Amino acid sequence: MGPHTVHRPLEQRWSRRQPATEASASALVAMFLCAAFATPASAQIDFTGEWAPAYHEDAPERLPGPELGDYMGIPLSAAARLRADSYDADRISVVNEYQCRPHSSDYGMRGLGNLRVWREINPKNQEVIALHTYMPAWGSERTIWMDNRPHPPEYAEYTFQGFSTGVWEGNMLTITTTHLKANYYRRNGVASSDKRTVTEHWARHGDFLTVIVVESDPVMLTEPWVRSENWYLDPGQKLTAFQCEYQPEVPAPVGTVPHHLPGTNPFLTEVADWYGLPREATRGGAETMYPEFRKKMTKPVMPPPDHCERFCVCTTLIDCQLHGR
Amino acid sequence: MNVLKAASGRRSMASPGCVLRLALLLATGHWPPATLLAQQPAPQARPPGAPAPTQVGRTGKATAPVDLTGYWVSVISEDWRWRMVTPLKGDFAGVPVNGDARRVGERWNPAQDEAAGAQCKSYGAPAIMRVPGRVHITWQDDNTLKIETDSGMQTRLLDFQGAAKEVDTIASWQGFSSANWERPPNGVEVPDNFPIFSTRTGTQGRSLEVVTTHLRPGYLRKNGVPYSAQTVLDEYFDYHKESNGDEWFTVTTIVKDPVYLTGPYITSTDFKKERDGSKWDPTPCTAR
Repeated sequence: MGPHTVHRPLEQRWSRRQPATEASASALVAMFLCAAFATPASAQIDFTGEWAPAYHEDAPERLPGPELGDYMGIPLSAAARLRADSYDADRISVVNEYQCRPHSSDYGMRGLGNLRVWREINPKNQEVIALHTYMPAWGSERTIWMDNRPHPPEYAEYTFQGFSTGVWEGNMLTITTTHLKANYYRRNGVASSDKRTVTEHWARHGDFLTVIVVESDPVMLTEPWVRSENWYLDPGQKLTAFQCEYQPEVPAPVGTVPHHLPGTNPFLTEVADWYGLPREATRGGAETMYPEFRKKMTKPVMPPPDHCERFCVCTTLIDCQLHGR
Repeated sequence: MNVLKAASGRRSMASPGCVLRLALLLATGHWPPATLLAQQPAPQARPPGAPAPTQVGRTGKATAPVDLTGYWVSVISEDWRWRMVTPLKGDFAGVPVNGDARRVGERWNPAQDEAAGAQCKSYGAPAIMRVPGRVHITWQDDNTLKIETDSGMQTRLLDFQGAAKEVDTIASWQGFSSANWERPPNGVEVPDNFPIFSTRTGTQGRSLEVVTTHLRPGYLRKNGVPYSAQTVLDEYFDYHKESNGDEWFTVTTIVKDPVYLTGPYITSTDFKKERDGSKWDPTPCTAR
């Protein structure tokens, strides 16, 4: 220690660094801080993980399957209704091509929807390129592009999962899906067209996931159809692989497509009569979806049963089967 | 700069201006700010399920990230036959009820409810957003969002100062609702420990979070599926605007009842905004 050394208490030496050292340290820290606090391109809520669906809405329709002629709550077009009326449930037993037809991505979210979500990260910049989802039904894997790529031209391939892109709106992920193959909105013949665009809004609240689905289909629907479904986080969920084999189940001549010609389907009123509902309500249509329809609808043709007889306890597939009738 | 670019990507690259500004702040002793260096107080313990209180000094109205006011109609695209008509006795489909709930539900007697003046049992907070009808949402004052329903003519008051209040209120159909604009999980602050190279995921929340307690026992559905006085109701209101210009909110409703449910009962209900109140149709509660 030289003669000109100023003796200062230790804490002062630590608190008063040399200016040169301070400047270089400042610059270094500034660079680190800029890197640390710069906003990433896609700040986001984390949707990754294993999600189990809550079948607390429309459980009998989504689990064991809808009743024939149940079009309730759907803004069906006349063409869609006519087509649905022609449906015969033997179709999926007789027509091999229908047996292993996958759920489209929009129906899958409403149907048997255990869900896994994971992220694909660009290792060079740590940005999210895409979200991927897997649902066991038909082993459906879907990609939701998060990198601002455009949708392909109309002539590009149409698939059951479609082409999906996602953008963030606050804490909500909004997904747009196009290029979907024609499929179904309900597993009783209510068809969806390949002209539809599906918008989804994903919102996570704690361990719950709500997905709002907006179907816009100029062929089958007269107005956008908005529904929402819910999942809860289930980290222990283990999803299985899916297998499907074509197997003739009902003997029929080759080329047979079970169907009903217009006005000849005898099963369309069952759902109204079993549940004591106005028959016109079961036919669907936008008008039936608004509260004021309750003032217009007629009384049931058949007097309602005194007690529930079908699917009275139904929140899981096992429940629904045990209490089906 | 190249190091930063490689490490954090194009959009998060530090600009020269940023480095200069921060260097200046450091040299003048203004960085890091006190708010960053100060030990962040641990979140205070809140009652189970209660939302975090709105920032002190800022009202619920002033901090609203979305505008939920106006007239809205519930569009019955789900659960049609359990909502638009009174379900059959003994129909519990979709509700995770236990044996006690089924026993109570099987004894449902609307005439008895009418005689007791309890026609509104299926219009309580755990059920009301699922009832077909319209809601009118307004700010009653700077910290109270009011939801009126035409079906059943109910009024819900969502109190943005509710989390800080000692609630001593009589149980009612609509109970006591504490509200908050939901923040992202774990807040928006930088991560704890060493925040270099990691930012907080999550953006500013837009959801309205509501917790309701002090509920008078009632029905989840009109056919007597019960909920108890121990019910806690969590709700999240999410606003969304569609490409055709339609405005919607969807309310996710989570009913927790240790008496009658085997687990949370989760539904989400969609409301479309209307231009005015011309279709507002006040109708009293009915038991059938």
